[in-house]
Amino acid sequence: MSTNGSLAGFRVVDLTEGICGPFSSMQLADAGAEVIKVEPPKGDYARQVGPPFVNGESAVFLSVNRNKKSVVLDYRREDQRSILRRLAATADIFLEDLGPGEAEQLGFGYSQLSGQNPRLVYCAISAFGEEGPLKDLPGSELVVQAMAEYTTSLGRIGDPPIRVGADVACINTGIFATQAILAALFHRERTGYGQRVAVSQFSSLLHLRGIMWHSMTDPDDWYGFHLDHYTNPPDYGYQAQDGALYFILRRGNTEDWDRLVLELGMEHVLADPRFADYGRQATSIGRYAPEVKQIWEDAFKGRSRDEIIALIKSIGGDAVPMMDYPSLLSHPQVEALNIIIEVPHPDGGTFKTVRPVARFTGAPETIMTAPPKLGQHTQEVLSTLNAGDD
Amino acid sequence: MAKPLDGIRVFDLTVAAVGPWATKLLGAMGADVIKVEAPGGDQLSHAVPPRIKGNSVLYISANHNKRMIELDLKQEADRAIALRILEKSDVFVNNMRPGAVERLGLGHEVVAKVNPRIIYVLASAYGRSGPMATEAGVDPTVQAFCGWCSITGPEHGRGEMFRHLAHIDLTTATTITQAVLEALIARERTGKGQRIEIEMLTAAMALQTTRLAEYFATSAQPRPLGSASPTTAPHQAFECADKQFVAIGVERDEQWPAFCRAMKLPELIADQRFASNPMRVRNRAALVEILEKRFKSKPAAWWMIRLTNEKVPNGPMMSFDQLRYHPQVRHNEHIVEIDTPHWGRLNVDGLPWQFSRTPAGPIRAGGKPGEHTAEVLAELGISHHPVGSSK
Repeated sequence: MSTNGSLAGFRVVDLTEGICGPFSSMQLADAGAEVIKVEPPKGDYARQVGPPFVNGESAVFLSVNRNKKSVVLDYRREDQRSILRRLAATADIFLEDLGPGEAEQLGFGYSQLSGQNPRLVYCAISAFGEEGPLKDLPGSELVVQAMAEYTTSLGRIGDPPIRVGADVACINTGIFATQAILAALFHRERTGYGQRVAVSQFSSLLHLRGIMWHSMTDPDDWYGFHLDHYTNPPDYGYQAQDGALYFILRRGNTEDWDRLVLELGMEHVLADPRFADYGRQATSIGRYAPEVKQIWEDAFKGRSRDEIIALIKSIGGDAVPMMDYPSLLSHPQVEALNIIIEVPHPDGGTFKTVRPVARFTGAPETIMTAPPKLGQHTQEVLSTLNAGDD
Repeated sequence: MAKPLDGIRVFDLTVAAVGPWATKLLGAMGADVIKVEAPGGDQLSHAVPPRIKGNSVLYISANHNKRMIELDLKQEADRAIALRILEKSDVFVNNMRPGAVERLGLGHEVVAKVNPRIIYVLASAYGRSGPMATEAGVDPTVQAFCGWCSITGPEHGRGEMFRHLAHIDLTTATTITQAVLEALIARERTGKGQRIEIEMLTAAMALQTTRLAEYFATSAQPRPLGSASPTTAPHQAFECADKQFVAIGVERDEQWPAFCRAMKLPELIADQRFASNPMRVRNRAALVEILEKRFKSKPAAWWMIRLTNEKVPNGPMMSFDQLRYHPQVRHNEHIVEIDTPHWGRLNVDGLPWQFSRTPAGPIRAGGKPGEHTAEVLAELGISHHPVGSSK
């Protein structure tokens, strides 16, 4: 962790496992907080997520646990629970994802910890929320995506469901958890009072569909990308000779539009009302984009993707190649932004991962330390606790 | 009741979704968000269908919890007003194409000079350096570029777009909100503001952290797997006897025996091929073959009851008509209805967080462009100046 980041000096005690909570606490660690990852004796279950494994460590685990310390505590045993309570007394932030009511039952709910530590910011992460008929249903990445209707925006009606490939139910929720923690910490810095904050994966994914909920209230007409997507076919981008691209025509003038149409040999669309307004309704989120896609692809036949991208950009449109990971990671833009960094591996060497997103001019570059081995810091951390704190 | 960001003022010079959604969240936390638009409003978001009573839902939904003012920043008099508001602001957020805000005379040096405590955020699609530095991007183009379509799609099929556009927009937005909060804490300690840069591309790649980890570990492109998770198993949707699909997820080892009991397949508990998550992932094909057959023998409801009793993550594929009045959604206000002055009663996204001491919200509709110009300027003690009168 960085010693003079925005959160330097703050201590986080983190009981979460998997991807969601650990992603959140990693963001706190990247900002300079001391994150103590408390693991049960068999370890965070993410240590078993995979293959792939990198020198014996789960690639997924490594990707969400840099800059942390690991302490093993069997907090389901009473004698170890008191150690956890003493540790929590030293914390600024406490993070758990045990499920509604579980932490209280074990003796480290917010009301049980805040008595000895009223400045504590306590964050609880759940799958479906802490109240309501589904509160006790455990979640998983797919289950939350499915119930938040994310699968309705992929694939084809009647075909087997498709999930979003990225772990959005975990990572987007991790971002909201971090926001809630930071907002509560800011309040504490100004007033001295801590508090309990909570986020759920279901709530997070539903929030991110907010434009949709508005769209379906009482729209003037049933078109537009927020509504059409339920029934549109899968979108693979626009196929050119050597690969797919994606483009959007957002602004235009007659001269540019005529040049595009002439160069692509598409004069026949000039009289087609679907291509009116310089083609703005005929691409991307435009009203007629799905039904005229073939017309574009016919025009792109025999032309390279780069040639078409250059042409579209030359008339003020946005155009990019549809990329897979190898092409993305070798792209000069990814390199120019230093998006990929190397982090020490716990057994030596390094592994590659994505850097913290925001770049702060006021904070020094984060110094990365290796994700911890199970229990690597147990003695170091627990030896500093005073036995009389409980 | 106190809110987390009481007393914080945000100068919101944002367009479309990325910037506006970030400041909307700051507004929900109690910040006074002043959205500044050119006369007539942010043309980009106003043009996007569908509309409600003539206004784009993109514009309506991304601008709650704000006050809307109009300034013609190309006019010196209005730019001077902007600087006076900025003197009294804590946060500046902009997501115009790189270079645009400098051309409007509100670059970081200018703003920091009148207000050294300002937290100044510039968000862009592809950053402000590198070969694509001057390019604009929107959700679908960044989706295409950032690789995430390549990991989404049917098994053995082509990678596809997530047709619910705006997920990358809003992910970037939430990253901005988080960065602002972090900088506010830093400012409490240092007394200083700072400049922050955020790109949609980086936010979209961070969202794929775990999937990119697979690639870095193997040097092989992760392939779309339909509904299945690549690194945990069984974790996918299965078709049942009634043709309904049920999503299940076994991520923790202790869920495996529970899952086998729910499926009435106790013999699998001791099956060495499936003894741990890594084993189940390696033997996924054999496992899925057994489970596909099993799920098809009974309707979805049967399996969901049994899986729920065993505390195994499971659920149906839901859609809006099921979600809208779902007791879980209503009880927790994941989708809420609010009354608005211009658009009637609206379904809006609920708040993603709960605060015990400083509750966020309630959600309040923003308004039409320029609706609060006179009110805001009067409140800040800036003499009222009709937009465009300096022309």
